[in-house]
Amino acid sequence: MQSRWDIGEPEAPTINKETEQLKSELLTLNMGPQHPATHGVLRIEIWTDSEIVAHAIPHLGYLHRCMEKHSENMDYRGVIPYVDRLDYLAAMNMEWGYVMAVEKMLGTEVPRRAELLRIVTAELQRIASHLMAFGTYAIDLGAFSPFLYAFDMREKILRIFEEVSGARLLYNYIWIGGLWNDYTDDQITRVSAFCDEMLVEAQKYHELLSMNKIFIERTANVGVFSLQDCFDYGATGPILRGSGYKWDLRKNKPYSLYSEFDFDVPVGTGEIGQPGDCWNRYIVRMREVVESVKIIRQAIAKLEPGSVMGKVPKIIKLPKGEVYVRSECPRGELGIHLVSQGESKVPYRLKVKSPCFTHVSMLPRVAPGQMIADFVATVGSIDIVLGEVDR
Amino acid sequence: MHNELVDLINKNVPGASATLNAAPDAKSDSTISVDANSIFKVVQFLRDNTTMPFNALQCISGVDYLDYMEVCYVLGHFDVNAPRDLILKVKVTDRVNGNLDSVVSVYPAANFQEREVFDMFGIRFNNHPDLRRILCPDDWQGWPLRKDYVAQKYYADMEVYPDGKMNFEDREFIVRQDMIKKAQLAAAKN
Repeated sequence: MQSRWDIGEPEAPTINKETEQLKSELLTLNMGPQHPATHGVLRIEIWTDSEIVAHAIPHLGYLHRCMEKHSENMDYRGVIPYVDRLDYLAAMNMEWGYVMAVEKMLGTEVPRRAELLRIVTAELQRIASHLMAFGTYAIDLGAFSPFLYAFDMREKILRIFEEVSGARLLYNYIWIGGLWNDYTDDQITRVSAFCDEMLVEAQKYHELLSMNKIFIERTANVGVFSLQDCFDYGATGPILRGSGYKWDLRKNKPYSLYSEFDFDVPVGTGEIGQPGDCWNRYIVRMREVVESVKIIRQAIAKLEPGSVMGKVPKIIKLPKGEVYVRSECPRGELGIHLVSQGESKVPYRLKVKSPCFTHVSMLPRVAPGQMIADFVATVGSIDIVLGEVDR
Repeated sequence: MHNELVDLINKNVPGASATLNAAPDAKSDSTISVDANSIFKVVQFLRDNTTMPFNALQCISGVDYLDYMEVCYVLGHFDVNAPRDLILKVKVTDRVNGNLDSVVSVYPAANFQEREVFDMFGIRFNNHPDLRRILCPDDWQGWPLRKDYVAQKYYADMEVYPDGKMNFEDREFIVRQDMIKKAQLAAAKN
């Protein structure tokens, strides 16, 4: 096997008598595994020419927990807590993606109330995840206070989730066939109240950070992903939309009941900077928060009393076959490739296509030529969660 | 859609011998199998053709069926008017020197995805620019997602797989347990 250093040395500068005094070489610098801007344990080996990045090589695997292997030894329900731990900031969306794959193979009918509550839950989780992205991105760029505002609001969502599901971060709440628990009327009222409050807060965030002169200087025209790069590397979610392409699975390939909902898909328009830069990716997330609030309000208006659990056999055995199910998560599209051989209560193979894994592979493409500080801004703007990169 | 694609591939890529694995019902997805030697040409054709193009590679996933291994290329077309997905499969029968042509020059997305398949299944990709392990450490032994994989006991002087750590009797997938027992017997003989 090749050693990790066999990646092709850059050409050594020619040394002759005149230039011997001026010889230069690339400096290797490790960003991470413990680095505030990597939001977890990601090591990026950067080769710098003074302040300019010449190469960036991501080294993954520090958080590899063999989730795909473990799930081959567990029954279909037992996998759900493991799927939670992929993207621990958006666990509900991850659960939903996996559960949809199993339900498709099982042919389960999910009750309407459960579908609507799943939408409410998933959109609340999307808001929570985007708030986290907003807060930590500001910290990466040296602004501390937005983080406190973001966590204040995120805490309110976590409180609701704690009451409904019993856990704050890793829920095991969306089950095959429906939901573990129903929302009470009081909780629904609190979700509505949160929505009203969120809209006011979102406006505050724009004043606080989005239109801040320093923030714009740090992010506009920095780390530009062209649209062609996005397709070449398979980027999805806010990265693709930030580059100005209007693509959202909830709109273009609707799953669950999303086709009944009326919402916009925000894209990076380049009103500041240009489409595909850090500022546009950031603003797409902030505008998605408002769209999520719209969806939650519509879902609550559609709610009718009923059961939240469909009919599911006690022991789940899936027929022989395979599915690839996509769903729109806060960080991009989650793909679940589930293979079943029939007559078995464990998945034969479960492959998770995680959005961040794809986005990390884009870093070597954009890094060359950037300043180190801009590279930090770029890494922050793709909103990595290492749990799902390493699985 | 899949039938048209099979015709299209067979007409334009000689030697691809594409076949349709139709799903019996809505519970599973239809897939297309192609010959392993022609995977590069097929993927290139699917990207460049004008009738049914695919503009993105979403993921590459491997599956070990014991007799053979399968690599699934999940292609997608991110187009508002005609969104589509395709699972394209090739078979790899050689468990020791299994290799495929890399598609990195067609879709750069394949870079990390192929490294992951190499890491987990030990399938080598010819002409890959940087083929090394991605999730496991570089000096890890074995291919973890193969069904007959037995974890190494020691790694860097740490006991990573102590006896009796896993409760095999309870939950281990039965086929795999047989494979592991056979492998352990073979190891004991040697």
